[in-house]
Amino acid sequence: MKTKRLTQLSLLTAAALIIFVVELRFPDILPIPGVKAGLANIITVYAVYRFSAGETSLMLTSRVLLGAFFASNLSALIYSASGAALCLTGMLFLRKVIPVRYIWLCSVIGGILHNTGQVAAAVAVTGTMAVIAYYPILVVSGGIAGLFTGICASLIINRKDIKKEQ
Amino acid sequence: MPKSVKICLAAVIVVFVISVIATLVILSPKDEKSAVYVEILRDNEVVCTLDPAVETDRTFRIECENGWNEITVKDGKICVSDADCPDRTCVKSGYLRHEHLPVVCLPHRLVIRFAEDDES
Repeated sequence: MKTKRLTQLSLLTAAALIIFVVELRFPDILPIPGVKAGLANIITVYAVYRFSAGETSLMLTSRVLLGAFFASNLSALIYSASGAALCLTGMLFLRKVIPVRYIWLCSVIGGILHNTGQVAAAVAVTGTMAVIAYYPILVVSGGIAGLFTGICASLIINRKDIKKEQ
Repeated sequence: MPKSVKICLAAVIVVFVISVIATLVILSPKDEKSAVYVEILRDNEVVCTLDPAVETDRTFRIECENGWNEITVKDGKICVSDADCPDRTCVKSGYLRHEHLPVVCLPHRLVIRFAEDDES
């Protein structure tokens, strides 16, 4: 990997982590586990369309791991990791189907997939199907959060000065 | 708009609408008659079953290897009043109100829900 590429990825990871840590200080929108804006995923959506699959997974893995350490909430790691894994797999596939102009749509599906992964992890961890009752709420919240992060990502990706750097 | 985008958009809208309807169904208030008993599960094993309507108001702790949850029964309702989990979402969830929507503490793998009728 070229040094330039590595630096870009490190900077994106740092930016995503800052957004993540700032978002931790926000009060909960709803008292439902898993409902959050996920603003750090603006960077993820951007990276999906600007970097290769391997590079994006590398960046997201370090962000999720470091984020769990910064939040000092390692028990939440399994939920964020499974959500991120499913979301990333889905979006890497979708970027071939959805052109960059409709990046917000890719992000909406990514958000829904993220929460799908989280509910699957919660079912596996608690061992009860009871938590599946949260799934419809999380699909709605994931879709709305994904739309928002997607619009933000499309604002970033259309910056000419960033494009020139690639 | 390319065809692939249209298909994705249509799928998202369908899923979204279904979820909104399902959310409204799940959040509808509990039917008074059904599901009286409340069960507390950890790792899908019933720790205790109780009927908040006849229970005296009390507070008790459920310990596990990661920490504890303090559960309060008051005026025929049950809630997690305190916990040492990192996110404290279980405390913020408040009283158990909805028949299908349990109060969960994911870090402690604790689920509080209304028991199914055939089990009570």
